Amino acid sequence: MEQLIQELKEHLIEELNLEEITPEDIDAEAPLFGDGLGLDSIDALEIILILEKYYGVKLANSAEAKPVFYSVKTLAEYVMQNRK
Amino acid sequence: MGIVVTGVGLVSALGVGVEQNLASIRQGVSGIKSKPEYLRTTNEVPVGELSMSNEELHQRLSISPGEHLSRTALLAILAVREALEDAQVDLTRRVGLISSTSVAGMDLTEHFFEDFIEDESAGRLRDVRMHDCAATTQAIMRYCGIKGYSTTISTACSSGANAVIMGAKLLKHGIVDCVVVGGSDALSAFTLNGFKSLMILDQSPCRPFDATRAGLNLGEGAGYLVMQREEEAMKWYCRLAGSANRNDAYHQTASSVEGDGAYLAMAEALASAGLSPEDVDYINVHGTGTMNNDAAESAAMLRLFADAVPAFSSTKAFTGHTLAAAGGVEAVLSVMALHRGILYPNMNFREPIEPYGLVPVVEFTQGRDLRCVVSNSFGFGGNCSSLVFTR
Amino acid sequence: MRCYIERVCRQSDVISDVKQLIPDAGLRRRMSRVVKSAVATGVECVGGVERIEALDAIVTATGWGCLADSERFLRNVIVDKEQLLNPTPFIQSTFNTVGGQIALLKHNHCYNVTYVNRSHSFEDALLDVLLRIADAQSENVLLGAFDEQTPSQQRIMERMGLFRRCQCGEGAVFALVTAKPTERSVAQVSGIEFLAESISKEQVAKRYGVTAEEELMYNRYAEYGLYPTASAQVFAEAVERIQQGVERVVVYNEYLGDSPTIIELKCIG
Repeated sequence: MEQLIQELKEHLIEELNLEEITPEDIDAEAPLFGDGLGLDSIDALEIILILEKYYGVKLANSAEAKPVFYSVKTLAEYVMQNRK
Repeated sequence: MGIVVTGVGLVSALGVGVEQNLASIRQGVSGIKSKPEYLRTTNEVPVGELSMSNEELHQRLSISPGEHLSRTALLAILAVREALEDAQVDLTRRVGLISSTSVAGMDLTEHFFEDFIEDESAGRLRDVRMHDCAATTQAIMRYCGIKGYSTTISTACSSGANAVIMGAKLLKHGIVDCVVVGGSDALSAFTLNGFKSLMILDQSPCRPFDATRAGLNLGEGAGYLVMQREEEAMKWYCRLAGSANRNDAYHQTASSVEGDGAYLAMAEALASAGLSPEDVDYINVHGTGTMNNDAAESAAMLRLFADAVPAFSSTKAFTGHTLAAAGGVEAVLSVMALHRGILYPNMNFREPIEPYGLVPVVEFTQGRDLRCVVSNSFGFGGNCSSLVFTR
Repeated sequence: MRCYIERVCRQSDVISDVKQLIPDAGLRRRMSRVVKSAVATGVECVGGVERIEALDAIVTATGWGCLADSERFLRNVIVDKEQLLNPTPFIQSTFNTVGGQIALLKHNHCYNVTYVNRSHSFEDALLDVLLRIADAQSENVLLGAFDEQTPSQQRIMERMGLFRRCQCGEGAVFALVTAKPTERSVAQVSGIEFLAESISKEQVAKRYGVTAEEELMYNRYAEYGLYPTASAQVFAEAVERIQQGVERVVVYNEYLGDSPTIIELKCIG
């Protein structure tokens, strides 16, 4: 799990082009959107791509998916449960 | 000084020509098909595609297929020729052209790039010759005999409306005697995949302003108006009484919750026409069918019209979202609505969006006494435009 | 028709300050090279807060648009066979991205239009600004032009044989334009013309009565590299010449096969 969290942080930084942010700067339990990392709806689409590209996990961009996007930790949990 | 609309030309998934388009809408026949027939793509999603190949379009226009025009240019030439003929424009006068597009020659560039990616010395250069937006405008000039001032505008999905606004300014200042304004966009793998990547393509026919809406259907088409100064026109459909472009300044793609840009555009367009919200009889809304647009546009209409929102409908369930062309296509539909007293039905609407509760026109009616029609077009980059047509 | 120029900025003026000019990391991280430099140049050109609040039109021009993002997305579509597509380059490929991002960054709700008409893009944008000012629709306008080069586009233009005489180029130029002269005005635009046929340097000089003390910039665009809005660089240079004391500068451009344009600039007063 810890390793997956670290990996997810690295993918986020790389794919979302987060400037001057290191994996250590991201609190795995802090919100990704709004106040936390300040991500928005386009980032949500990119996160969906990250999950599919690296873990083969498909996620629809819907209201039900919202809790999954809450933090790096919730993303990791979702990947663990759904990874093939 | 009044600006009047003296000619109209329209091509969409509903067919070629204004009358064909109006007849389809009257019969309740949508132009949306279950998947693209001519566009090369693996995406099996509903689209508003004109059922004619590029070869057929060249033939219909009596242009040699060897000229190898982009689909965007072919659609545009069809619509501009119709508009010029409709207005009986004397091409020896100073006739201008303000055209708009967002994909331009991308349909051809896509072919080129497939080969070019493999080998940079491969790919036929004639496939990239029409890549830039101006190439479409140049092709229209050449094949329609327009020789005056011309320019090209691209502000995403409000482009066509902004072309109308610029055209009116040129007439007012006497830079042209007559101006053709509007936009054209063909379907392309680029845009279809673009909207797919944004996850706003509905897998079913789109349902603008419906509670269950799930996105847009991409369309293609071209819509152009001929405009002249009132005192020089013999007969006309209607006046362009006002217009405005304002920016939502909220997000690169999403609209603000309160519909700031849409509200400002409609309010300023009406003010520029010297009209009040209660003067509006019908709004051809932008109504793409995405969750975000229709909610923001509802909020903006409620802000401006409060509890007296006029009759409104989105025609995109008939045509699909024709991007830069939408402002032109829907300006033509708005002009015809006003001229013939038509209210277009908002196809596929069943339940209003909460908490707005707005119910669009659902039945086709003709012969209404319409005096003022507003056409809305909004695009990426917060670009919001409204046009006001009056009798 | 007439308008006044308060300030002109080129992309090279802002390269070191991008982060300061575009403080919103969320916006900045999605920007391609051209969008970043053009937005920064535009923001720098507007200057202080009071000017930003007064801004009532943003008019941009680009011949090629955001090429790198267009190409990135197109490659993604072809190579990945229409799967796993990243929406960012598609969104940013839109021609009005620069104008839209400036509005977004500065919370500006005003008129915001983009001209994409090959080598006339900048001149058409300037014409729109002049018309809006003549109609009293605008008083403070941000006018800008930008284009970027990419390796693929350079290769394609090379194959078309366009670089036999000059190099490919790119750049961003913005001007802060006002309806009335202000104490900060540095030059005025007193005329713009779109000609049907090309005319010689002597004919332009005669048409405008250009004297020995005045300056005629005849087809100087290629000095900035071959790109559609290079004429905006010549325009910037003309403004600079007027700041240096030249009373009038006439700028003639005829890019590749396009019809010529003329812009006349004068000193204030």
